[in-house]
Amino acid sequence: MALRRGFQESFDWPLFVTTVAIAVVGVVNLYSATSAAGASLRDVYIQQIYWLTFGAGTAVLVAAIDYRHFERYGWVAYGFGVVLLILVFLLGREIRGSQRWIPLGPFSLQPSELMKLFFIVALGKHLHNDPRTEGRTLKDLIIPGLILALPLLLILAQPDLGTALLLVFVFATVMFLTHLKLRSLVTLVVTLAASAPLTWRYLLKDYQRERLTSFLDPEKDLLDTGWHAHQAKVAIGSGGFTGKGFLQGTQNQHKFLPDQHTDFPFPVWAEEQGFVGAVLLIFLYMVLVLWGLKIASEAKDRFGAVVAVGVSALIFWQAVINLGMVCGMLPVVGITLPLFSYGGSSVLTIMTGIGLLMNVSMRRFHF
Amino acid sequence: MTMLSVRREVGEFKKRYKWMALFVIFSMSALLVRLFELQIVEHARWAAEAQKNITKVLRLPATRGLIRDVKGHVVAENRPSYNVFVTPQLLGEEEVNQIAQLMGLSEAQKQAFVHTIESVPARRRSHLVQVFTDITRDQYASLETHKRELPGTDVVAVPIRSYPYKGLGAHTVGFLNEVSADDLKTLAGLGYGPGHFVGRAGVERAWESYLRGKDGEQRMVVDVRGQELDGSDRAPRSKPLRKEPVPGLDLRLTLDMDMMRSVERAFRGHPSGAAVVVDVHTGRVRALFSKPGYDLNEMSGGLSNERSQELGDNPFRPLIDKTTYESYFPGSTFKPISALAALQDGILSSGAHIDCPGYYELGHRRFRCSHVHGEVDMRKAIVQSCNVYFYHLAEQVGIDRLARYANEFGLGQKTGIGINTEASGFMPTRKWYERHHHNRYHLGFTLNAAIGQGNTRVTLIQLAMMYTAIASGGTLYVPQLVERVERPDGSIVEEFEPRVRRRIAVDPAFLTYVIDGLFGVVNDPKGTAYDARIEGGVPVAGKTGTAEVSKKKLEPNEDPRRAWYYRRSHAWFAGFAPADKPELAIVVLVEHGGQGGKYAAPIAIQILQEALGSPATDTAHRPVLVAKKP
Repeated sequence: MALRRGFQESFDWPLFVTTVAIAVVGVVNLYSATSAAGASLRDVYIQQIYWLTFGAGTAVLVAAIDYRHFERYGWVAYGFGVVLLILVFLLGREIRGSQRWIPLGPFSLQPSELMKLFFIVALGKHLHNDPRTEGRTLKDLIIPGLILALPLLLILAQPDLGTALLLVFVFATVMFLTHLKLRSLVTLVVTLAASAPLTWRYLLKDYQRERLTSFLDPEKDLLDTGWHAHQAKVAIGSGGFTGKGFLQGTQNQHKFLPDQHTDFPFPVWAEEQGFVGAVLLIFLYMVLVLWGLKIASEAKDRFGAVVAVGVSALIFWQAVINLGMVCGMLPVVGITLPLFSYGGSSVLTIMTGIGLLMNVSMRRFHF
Repeated sequence: MTMLSVRREVGEFKKRYKWMALFVIFSMSALLVRLFELQIVEHARWAAEAQKNITKVLRLPATRGLIRDVKGHVVAENRPSYNVFVTPQLLGEEEVNQIAQLMGLSEAQKQAFVHTIESVPARRRSHLVQVFTDITRDQYASLETHKRELPGTDVVAVPIRSYPYKGLGAHTVGFLNEVSADDLKTLAGLGYGPGHFVGRAGVERAWESYLRGKDGEQRMVVDVRGQELDGSDRAPRSKPLRKEPVPGLDLRLTLDMDMMRSVERAFRGHPSGAAVVVDVHTGRVRALFSKPGYDLNEMSGGLSNERSQELGDNPFRPLIDKTTYESYFPGSTFKPISALAALQDGILSSGAHIDCPGYYELGHRRFRCSHVHGEVDMRKAIVQSCNVYFYHLAEQVGIDRLARYANEFGLGQKTGIGINTEASGFMPTRKWYERHHHNRYHLGFTLNAAIGQGNTRVTLIQLAMMYTAIASGGTLYVPQLVERVERPDGSIVEEFEPRVRRRIAVDPAFLTYVIDGLFGVVNDPKGTAYDARIEGGVPVAGKTGTAEVSKKKLEPNEDPRRAWYYRRSHAWFAGFAPADKPELAIVVLVEHGGQGGKYAAPIAIQILQEALGSPATDTAHRPVLVAKKP
């Protein structure tokens, strides 16, 4: 299954360069973010390089195989992901009140991360095999809804509100591609709005509710729930236009930023590199996501388009939610900044996703 | 190739990408706007907060000025108190146990400690909170030894007040305690903060601004745990800023603590009373004694509730400064005023005689005298304290003239001693009676006023200044407590000259005459204080007083034994010595002591004897008369 055009011509350089740029900046920032923490986090940026390298290998592998093979094994991948999610409950250890990881020797795997991609692939397979031109009704949403519901419930049970939320957003974005009848759309929106209070009441845990309320009233309790969000704002705001300089961020170096290498790496960056650095990073994410959409729009079949939109949506929502949360625009949920936050599963997932994008991009000329 | 599915039409998706791209651009722009707001518009605010985060300001308390007595004995000084501070955020169960073990806390103390930490509000959990004060040296040593294992635990040595004389002169010296939340509303502007101490009574309070000094501060760069960063950190360090504290100024009191001790000794056996000794030449107060008192060290350290309750319930009212805050009927100690009023205004000559049958009849009322004195002239009336003589005198002098002379001698007015809350006392006038007694004045009021009863009320310090004025030939001083203000190195900042309030317009001859009478009180065999005199001791002149208090009937549930005590008269003695060349004026009050001559005079004379300690002089020592007898 050779490429119709030469590798040189079909290789997606903008996608590659943007990805590398974010990853490099991310590693540099991780170095600073963990420099004050002492021995416990000393090797984090090295680890990240390993993961990025490993992720790049995976991406190359994923990009090399025609994506339609993935379509074929869509349900298998999905099933594998679901099994892993179930295994979390059997094998996982509880860390900070939730079970998210499966220990694998010296590493631990976070199946919910991988599930994001399996989920996109499964959704793509379904839409690919359900081509139609007339508008869809609610009935047509049942199967996609089930594809979403199974992993969603398993992830909520861990509990991992951030990832669950992300799945819903990615799902909504992908489904936005399809043509839903207006009446069905209205019914759906009304039903969801009506069920929101019930979700609040029965589905959310206390600490999740607390985070949401503290977002609405951040001054209420600066040292407990609102502490993270507040210190992040202090870090970003105090960075000013040009920033305090690499390794010079006081909020970071004096340990006022919690989870500075996982959930809050952006405040470290914005504090040390200022508005200039922050704009640059946001610009990189925007380019990456828009480029992903361009790849989707040029995809030659429904599966490729869905996968490209799905991966772009994944990157977009993660970036926007994480940035919005550290800027105090959104409540604090545990969503990492793609390629910027430390985390093996997360890096692996995004890099694989980039590989998928590359795959779709390189095969856009096929017929 | 057959393995792969056929490609499907993507037309359904085509028109959606534009909207997605727009949404992406819109979201990212919103983030940029927010970043602009945080980093550019609000930069100053967040930068200040970031700076505040890493800056810990440690207060370097100023050393409070010392207070010394007139001879240089230290009355109030400072000693180090080791206080323990913790950062609640950093204390786990393990640390709490370790601290408890190192300090040898009992289980109850440990529970209290845990409770203290738990009750710290969330917003202060990263701040230092004081948990123990004034720990022992052993506790301090063991905490210091394990300092490294206990991050977020600091022992800070803070100077605290110490009063070597404990309860002696308590009301005058005063004490400190910590400012309360309420005080902070008014004191915050003056630089007081939580944990600061402020003078609460006496000199400590009145001279607060001199004694206090100015706190310094030490700024440190800290991390989120509140720990100072050492050199090994890569974190940026701003130059530590240190502002040295300025120590407070020292005070030299006019009080003589040796004399205070002597006063205390003289009061042995009497549960409640007060005394004032004033230097006749300057108006400087040598002793200001109010019994019972309280231990200033205990008061400054923060009183336990039980102790506080105990002090409040004590029937002898230890919290009241009986020399300035409380006012009393002066009783017969007032009589010199009546005499001088009559003499100076030419109403009664000293030679006029009156017959004392032991009572005085006014309408249907009989005003009693202590004895049947028979033929009485003014001197004899003073010496033997004949009320009848003074009733006659009062009838002619009138209440307003009495009031005028009393005021002239400083009675019924604040003396301006400048500490505690000074009572003004009271000297009634005709107008006052007309306004307050159903518009009816009658002569009985005047008769009572002339012997220092009725509605006349004076404070001990007023009476002392009045007798000082008599002894000094008519100079009314402002009582002075602080002689000078010194820097810690001993150099003088400010020295206070004696302050004369006024020269009283009385003929020295009349004063001499009255003084002669006062001498007789102690030295004439029929004088009311004759039994109290010390043979061969310092010649004392003075006046006894037996001020009657409430004559109420026993109330239903009143303890008769207590009631008996509370219905007993106050015993007074006011005078000066040596009678011929006065040095010290004295006022002694024994609350519910009984007869002045019997209970107050011996105390006063003993104090004067110990103070002036003169070698034996002629027993018939008489004052030198500076003018002919009127």
